Amino acid sequence: MLRRLASCVVLITVLWPGHAKAQRIGIAIEQRLAEASGLAVGDTLSVASPNGGPRRPAVVAAIIEPRADPATILRKEYRVRFHLADLAELLGQPDRIDRAAILLQPGVDPDSARALLDRTAFGYELHGTAALAASSSTTFLVVSRFHRAIAIISVLASAIFLLCLMLLKVDARRQDVAMLRFIGISRRTVFIALLLEAGVIAAVGGVLGIGIAALTSAAVNAFYQQTFATTLIFSLLTWRTIVEAALLGLVLGLGAGALAAWRLVRLPPLVLWGRAG
Amino acid sequence: MMTWRWAIRDLLRHPTRSALSLLGVAVAAALLLDMVMLSGGIERSFGELLRSRGYQLRISPLGTLPFDTEATLGDVTALTVALRRDPAVREVAPVLGSTMQGAHGAIAASLVTYGVTPTSQGIYTLESGRDLTATDTVGILLSVPAATRLGAAVGDTVSLRGRLDPQMANAGAERRVLVRGIVRFLYDAREQPSVAVALAAAQRLGGPDLTDRASVLMVRIDEASDLTAVTARLRAAHADVAVNSIDDLVAQFRLRLTYFRQLSLILGSISLVVTVLLVGTLLAITVNERSGEIATLRAIGVARMNIARQVLVQGLLLSVLGGAAGMVLGLGTARWLDAILTSFPGLPAAISFFVAEPAPLAIAAATLLLTGVLAGLPSAWRAASTPIAAALRSDAP
Repeated sequence: MLRRLASCVVLITVLWPGHAKAQRIGIAIEQRLAEASGLAVGDTLSVASPNGGPRRPAVVAAIIEPRADPATILRKEYRVRFHLADLAELLGQPDRIDRAAILLQPGVDPDSARALLDRTAFGYELHGTAALAASSSTTFLVVSRFHRAIAIISVLASAIFLLCLMLLKVDARRQDVAMLRFIGISRRTVFIALLLEAGVIAAVGGVLGIGIAALTSAAVNAFYQQTFATTLIFSLLTWRTIVEAALLGLVLGLGAGALAAWRLVRLPPLVLWGRAG
Repeated sequence: MMTWRWAIRDLLRHPTRSALSLLGVAVAAALLLDMVMLSGGIERSFGELLRSRGYQLRISPLGTLPFDTEATLGDVTALTVALRRDPAVREVAPVLGSTMQGAHGAIAASLVTYGVTPTSQGIYTLESGRDLTATDTVGILLSVPAATRLGAAVGDTVSLRGRLDPQMANAGAERRVLVRGIVRFLYDAREQPSVAVALAAAQRLGGPDLTDRASVLMVRIDEASDLTAVTARLRAAHADVAVNSIDDLVAQFRLRLTYFRQLSLILGSISLVVTVLLVGTLLAITVNERSGEIATLRAIGVARMNIARQVLVQGLLLSVLGGAAGMVLGLGTARWLDAILTSFPGLPAAISFFVAEPAPLAIAAATLLLTGVLAGLPSAWRAASTPIAAALRSDAP
């Protein structure tokens, strides 16, 4: 089965019903265009190619909701569907297409079919679906790499922030630690206590952070879905992300706490109390 | 001066803690710098690219932006003549873009082909060899990727084929052309194989569909003319085409980059919050630790204002030092992030996402310093209002 596709920018103006004298063609317009222009099924439009050529009356035969496509969302263009022959004629390019999709017989290896067709190809190129999908998703791969880079910077900043806070927090308890040491509590016990405290803080902070992330994610989705009038999901908070973030927060918190606690417990109690070197 | 010395001494008293705080502020400042550069960088970069050859206007098929679709302008000769009649118009440069097949020996490759008027064009700069002349209809200019793909060099003869017919497996038109030079196409994506030939040659290779057609007209107007007025005049005179100034094109481009502006705003704000938290926490703990010392200073007659100033200066010092380190760090990370984003498919290779401009950078630096000072305000207030007797009593051994 060969599915042929042609695409082009088409100029559209709304006509009064009485103006449609020539043979009218049927078109399908997308919901956003219908809402923006107040068009409904049965309305007559005038369509023309930006390359020039005659205008033709067209009747809105259907209103469609195209599948949400992240690749075109920022372009804010309106989609109109024609019958292939009508569009080709309108463009003054009969029997021409931009691309064709080929459905192979069951059991046929796509790569060998592509290689076979490639040998006779002239003026066109063949692409396997997987390669085409990889190529068309390059934009999102770049965005994904960018997000990952920003995440690395954020984690670095968070780690330093956490370490700094733990250090300050533990440092502020010098006299408490000194007192514990004076009454015979071992360094190990003090260290574990401080480490546990750091762990609890990191865990509680992690839970709060996940809550904030869930709220932010919902707000981001609500804002962009309304802005772009789409059902696309812009921020996806998965269980894997939650677990990874929680674990990372806990590890960083414990690491920072351990470092800060070690700096404190290695000092003699008198130094901690502030009465010696 | 005394206040600064006090602040420096206090930071040096706890080197690890101060170093970590500075590092935290530096990373936050780096992120802020990157986001400031990102927020308007690509727009500025795109605007500069469009302005680089001095053409202030672009005329494209109605409802389209230049080279955004395959639509072309018709009756280009008449349109060019009509445009030149405007007293402000100095030069009109038509460009026709299409896809053709190039062949050199046994090698064939699909090429983006630009038809240009060699004497007035704004899409390439010559790198080696020589440019096409006004009457040269048998010359061709290659980009480096096109030359590499074809294995051709200056002086070689290559075939350019248009109107390829897949059913008949032949080309409707073929022309043997001589490679005159290697050029850099300003608006090409990385590794895009492009060539330029005379407009008439490109139109002939395209066949009847492309006769007297062009994808875009680049218009240069007198520097002394009012661009807005000329744009409005040309729009009124040529309602069947799209007349866009560079600012219009940048505005369209901006719409498509909303995401990056919003992201930079969010991350920039987060970096400022991190700075506030870091500086604020450090100062709060410092004031706590030094409550006895502060009470003593107050007891011997040091004014509340001086105490508050000392705390604020310490916050400012953290911001200045952290900000300075952040600038260096930020420039490094900006290069890394730019390398990622400029790998977007189809983006002109000459565009940068992160552009360092003095004014936005100065605003970012001022914001960071102000943030540092503001973060210290609560601690400064607390230090200035320390109850002398209670603080001295609690600090006594």
